[in-house]
Amino acid sequence: MDKIIFTGPMGAGKTTAISSISDIPPISTEVRCSDDAQLRKETTTVAMDYGYFSLDDGSRVHLYGTPGQERFDYMWTILTKGGIGLVLLLDNARPDPLADLTFYLDAFKDFIQQTGAVIGVTRMDVSNQTSLDDYRNTLFARDQIFPVFEVDARQPNDVKILIHALLAILQ
Amino acid sequence: MLSKLATIQLEQRLSKLIEQCSAVDAAVVATLDGYTCAMKQRSQQYPLERLATMGSTLMSLGDTITAELRLGTCDNIISENKNGIVAFMHIDDNLVLITLATQKNALGMLLSHSRRCAEEMKKVVV
Repeated sequence: MDKIIFTGPMGAGKTTAISSISDIPPISTEVRCSDDAQLRKETTTVAMDYGYFSLDDGSRVHLYGTPGQERFDYMWTILTKGGIGLVLLLDNARPDPLADLTFYLDAFKDFIQQTGAVIGVTRMDVSNQTSLDDYRNTLFARDQIFPVFEVDARQPNDVKILIHALLAILQ
Repeated sequence: MLSKLATIQLEQRLSKLIEQCSAVDAAVVATLDGYTCAMKQRSQQYPLERLATMGSTLMSLGDTITAELRLGTCDNIISENKNGIVAFMHIDDNLVLITLATQKNALGMLLSHSRRCAEEMKKVVV
């Protein structure tokens, strides 16, 4: 079973990305935010998102989204089991998206080493203080080379590009 | 978030639960997005903040499963284990009560006391 994991900080677009390309209504575990995060986002994922997406050859790619917050890190371990690769979505409008990049690369280090990853940067239309080259330079400084794309998680084609890029580097 | 008064009242109700039901070793109230609101335990041996977050995940999964199967709302999730029982139940749409017993034959007592506690807590947080 081809299982791809979507991760990244809260609000980066993981649930939206899976919803935008899933062949079925996605299974979602969103609940109302009870803290200050609700000022920017009303709901958050506390267990997982799930959907699947059919490739041109008819095979299915299963899509699992993780909760974004670190307090749910036990779900990261559970969800990455059996995964073939990671889609890391980063919100360019957060205060320090390069720190987010480093944090998630470290948190999923073992999984990435065994599989592979692509980076999707969302909300570049809201903030362009960090460029795609800044992300690539950060990766380069860590001796990691992964494809980096600007994406709109609401656009199916943008999300499909991430999936196809990930499958290409895994081959 | 809950008011200070409501938090104190929840803590008092958790103390009462542990006093009245000898089977309950620990109890936590958490928000459905994983924050601890109140907690009590007989001895400081369990990582209850971690349990609160995991309880929110499990309760949300329970809600998702029952919604998918059109079985109505998820009342309880029970984890029966070699060395004890953990019960998860809604207080309301936003709060979860998690109770833990190490006596293996205490399921009925744990559930009945926990359910009564959750119902009383619901009145506190309205």
